[in-house]
Amino acid sequence: MEVDRTSHELRPMTCELGHLSRSDGSATLTQGDTTVITSMYGPGDVRISKEIIDKATVEVTYRPKIGLPKCSDKLKERLIRNTCETVILSGLHPRTGIDIILQEMQNSGSFLSCCINSACLALLDASIPLKYLIAAVTCCISDKGEITLDPDLKQEKKSVAILTFVFDSKDFNVVTVSTSGSFSNEQFQSCLMACREASKHVITFYRESMLKKLSKSV
Amino acid sequence: MANDLKTFQPKEYYRKFLEKDVRPDGRELGECRSTVVNIGSITTAEGSALVKLGNTTVICGIKAELANPKADEPKNGYIVPNVELSPMCSAQFRPGAPGEQAQVLSQFVVDVLQNSECVNLQDLCIVSGKLVWMLQCDMICLDYDGNVADACVLSLVSALKNTCLPKVTVNEETQAIETDDKITNNLKVQTTPVSTTFAIFDDHFVIVDPTIEEETLATGIITIVTKEKKLCMVHKPGGTPLKDSQIQLCIDRAIERSGQATKLIDETQCSLDR
Amino acid sequence: MADHVGSLFLPGDLIQNLKESEATKKILLGPGLRQENDLILTSKPGILRFREPNVYWIDSPQKRYVPVKGDAVLGIVTQKMGDVFRVDVGASESATLPYIAFEGATKRNRPDVKVGDIVFARFSVANKDMEAELVCIDKHGRSNGMGVIRDGGFLHHCSINQVRKILNPENVLLKTLGKNMKFETAVGMNGRVWVKGRNINETIAIINALAVSEFMTNEQTLSMCKKLADSLAGF
Repeated sequence: MEVDRTSHELRPMTCELGHLSRSDGSATLTQGDTTVITSMYGPGDVRISKEIIDKATVEVTYRPKIGLPKCSDKLKERLIRNTCETVILSGLHPRTGIDIILQEMQNSGSFLSCCINSACLALLDASIPLKYLIAAVTCCISDKGEITLDPDLKQEKKSVAILTFVFDSKDFNVVTVSTSGSFSNEQFQSCLMACREASKHVITFYRESMLKKLSKSV
Repeated sequence: MANDLKTFQPKEYYRKFLEKDVRPDGRELGECRSTVVNIGSITTAEGSALVKLGNTTVICGIKAELANPKADEPKNGYIVPNVELSPMCSAQFRPGAPGEQAQVLSQFVVDVLQNSECVNLQDLCIVSGKLVWMLQCDMICLDYDGNVADACVLSLVSALKNTCLPKVTVNEETQAIETDDKITNNLKVQTTPVSTTFAIFDDHFVIVDPTIEEETLATGIITIVTKEKKLCMVHKPGGTPLKDSQIQLCIDRAIERSGQATKLIDETQCSLDR
Repeated sequence: MADHVGSLFLPGDLIQNLKESEATKKILLGPGLRQENDLILTSKPGILRFREPNVYWIDSPQKRYVPVKGDAVLGIVTQKMGDVFRVDVGASESATLPYIAFEGATKRNRPDVKVGDIVFARFSVANKDMEAELVCIDKHGRSNGMGVIRDGGFLHHCSINQVRKILNPENVLLKTLGKNMKFETAVGMNGRVWVKGRNINETIAIINALAVSEFMTNEQTLSMCKKLADSLAGF
């Protein structure tokens, strides 16, 4: 059923934290119909060849729903890894490893931002020390020049460009940008501003989820 | 004295230069290294180009093969870019299967081609549904001195502009493929995407075209790919958060650089034709 | 954001209006808080807690243990190497436990510890840059309950929060269970609890009670223990 959603609203988000018993932190995030499960281990053991003497080694593995990881997934892993490295206070845990594993459950649009948001939630669930939070929002530009936030798969297919922005929760500056398709400078700036507004909702969502989780264990 | 500081406190050494608005190699913060483009050096390939960005050297060779198109895209040919980083270019790479950096760069180039629509895949079609061209583009890095991404994109675009494909006809009766090497068509390149990489240092210095030392000391990287005046890719994988004004500065600089690079490729192309 | 002891903070939140101690004019920042120039920021998600005179910290739920000096933990001996034992405490790397650090141990008189034994020990050295070191004696040289744990029992893994909850004097779990059954227990800050009851049934019952009480309030714990005691007695 097509829910009528204004183009400047995000799809409803739900999440479940700490449901995987073996991992140190886990989160299942659903944005609309897109679902990603993230599990993370850390700070834990790391191979000596990958050890860094003054920081923790962050590793990200992405597993697609069907088949083995391809070359294109490596770029996704690199993006998520660099974003997480910016946020994690890795100086507090030198010579350890922090492993983040993402599993695609369903891709119904805005996939990269769902991955990054669920990685942030898993880091929160495991209580890894962070500098600030990160919120990711995807938007797409249609051929008529309209901007739609958090597009689903149909809207993405019809669009000319898809842009994903990740903002930090302190000053809402841009941490990560990933785009596909071509667009003008002005379109880039307006997408940036629209996504920035929307990212504040994501931060509020994190706060509510953590409140729910902590109210159980008080 | 300066060498001691460079070895033991590379960040401090670097900061001293940046405060005076220069870099150790004498460039200003917004200045790119000298770019050299050499087209058509590999005679056995359908198209080739060698690009030197300062010391960073990438050579791109394009070989064309005949292939069957995909069933759901009968009119589309293939362009397959592949970036190779071997121990020859830097000690950090080991022989064997492509490492993460090579795979990330290959995927980056694939994305640039897709986003900029540089070559229309339907131009590579010979017989719809049966025979299409497949262009294997191999970019081999000969010297890894920072900013290999820009060099790869520049070499690929130059090589594509240099590519000549022989005329292929399919004999209707015998279904035999006849290749006529004497008649060649130039590959039609619609746009010229140019990529510009900036390194972020210490949260507020933004420098263009980083060398390998600058890349290791940087706290973040942003790459902007432009075609003419439009943007076709903004890639910032994590790293220090940037303010809007800084991003706008980078975009303006990238558009300027794209004009310079396109002129360079066209001049080199013209000198070859002469 | 103002100072709200008892409310939720997420990483990157600013904390203001902290009370300094009158005597030393200093504020002690515990786990989860960090200082950046003049600002105090949170680095972990959790509830801000306060203890007189001037200690603030963030109480956050965690599953993975990070060694802290002075913590008493339960570890499993994995290796005998030279002059030390390697002990697995559930952290990112094993801790070392020297032979000498047992009561009455000398170079000639080695303690009777085998690979696979459970030891209850305290961290003498634990920081991020060095390997953690354990000892089984206190500063006077007495064992004070620490050492190898023998004769059976059951080692149960739970989260760090669970352990802190059990050790909290206001928590009624251990007291209520102790009214009905006799048992021995050792609680390690690394999320491990060792229990030995009179017989196997009681041991398993106590472990189950521990496992389910993680999210229960005191009243729920009381009623759960009562049900447990009843079922053990055969009702």
